[in-house]
Amino acid sequence: MSAYLAATRYTLIEQARNRLALGLLAVFLPVWYFLLGAAIERGPAAFKLSATGQFLTVDAHNVTVLTSGANAIALICGFTIFAATRKGAAFDRRLVLCGLHQPVLLAAKLTALAGVALAVSAYSTLVLLAFWRPESLVLVWLGYFLVALVYGAFGLLLGVLVQSELAGFFLIIMVGLLDTAFQIPVENPAGNKDFLHFFPAHGPIQLAVAGGFAEQLPFSMVLLSLAWVAGFSLLGLAIFWRRTRAWNARGRLTSRQLAAAK
Amino acid sequence: MPADLLLQARDLTRSFGRRRVLRGVSFDLAPGQLAGIVGENGAGKSTLLKILAGELRPSGGSVVLRGALGYCPQAVVLNDELTVEQHLDYFRAAYGIAGLERAHELVARLGYERYLRSTVGTLSGGTKQKLNLTLALMHDPTVLLLDEPYQGFDWETYLRFWDLAAELRDRGRAVLVISHLVFDRDRFDQLYTLRDGLLQADVVPVASR
Repeated sequence: MSAYLAATRYTLIEQARNRLALGLLAVFLPVWYFLLGAAIERGPAAFKLSATGQFLTVDAHNVTVLTSGANAIALICGFTIFAATRKGAAFDRRLVLCGLHQPVLLAAKLTALAGVALAVSAYSTLVLLAFWRPESLVLVWLGYFLVALVYGAFGLLLGVLVQSELAGFFLIIMVGLLDTAFQIPVENPAGNKDFLHFFPAHGPIQLAVAGGFAEQLPFSMVLLSLAWVAGFSLLGLAIFWRRTRAWNARGRLTSRQLAAAK
Repeated sequence: MPADLLLQARDLTRSFGRRRVLRGVSFDLAPGQLAGIVGENGAGKSTLLKILAGELRPSGGSVVLRGALGYCPQAVVLNDELTVEQHLDYFRAAYGIAGLERAHELVARLGYERYLRSTVGTLSGGTKQKLNLTLALMHDPTVLLLDEPYQGFDWETYLRFWDLAAELRDRGRAVLVISHLVFDRDRFDQLYTLRDGLLQADVVPVASR
């Protein structure tokens, strides 16, 4: 337990010291809300709730502001977790070789991911209030929390998979932009199409819109979002587990094993 | 592995693509032995140590290790965002040891107590290397694998390192140091040269203690 607490604590401290991510949260997020909102005029738009097939009539400006928040969260969380995972690879390896159990380190990584997602989503929901007052703030936060988790897990996967920092950033930006932009039915010919169900941000954005405009909670969208989180993180953690393991773990006779053998 | 050995490496081979870096390295480490490995740049010294430490899988061969291992990698492996104190606490948790008395003693002996609360990213190369070494020694391991552990040390700290290595040897630890400095040679009980992928045992230096 003490090892888990230490690993979680230090992973969180490291992420909290990511000045670029903090700067992006402080500056980029409100600017992003403002710019995307200002670019879209007020007026009715039809948003399809994929859980029921029902169309909601939403304000084009407000739905754009809401989804621009999801987009910014995806980029910031993806980037934060990617940067920390990639940069810390050798350090994590050393910790495991020194005896830190891999499941403990993996659990700490997931806890830290949830912590970052919680902080970023809560902050983004509060900043959103300066631009628009949604019907249910809690459900909007839930959508934001899930998009933060999905992209944090994506960042974790890229952090163990991609060698080059530039390639990782590029992938997060491209996937994040395409994924979230396609979900908005405003000035987007692909909006409301069925193939969007298979995009990672689909569930979270559906939740945020259903909650923000109609106080509805489509529960299947929570499950869909969590499936993406589980998929990305399990794959990432499996690669991480393989990479950090000592090749001769079985050939190591620890003092405890030696005492037991006597 | 015989009971009087702490580490036994047998027939270790390792290739990178077509390049065969290790071609069958075997050796043993016994309690109270301070051994050194020398060799030219690119001879495979660090590759060998990484294999012994469990970090790198060999193409063939085996390593058996008895007791706790302390490994100091050549490149400093630290976290720039954490302080020295946080590193000590994190590795205390990793090693599963109760206190930090030994760690603080090492910090004092290597002379960098005033940096305990500094984040590692702000430290000089030499101080980072001191912490790198402290993390390898703080759990009082039985077997020590040190890859040029004094890089960036000033002369005084370099001498303190050798006092520390001799002390560990005298307390029955097995210490293996990779070195490229000619004047280190007579500090070892046993010296090996890694050449053409093979380890040759040199004649034991006269100054052997």
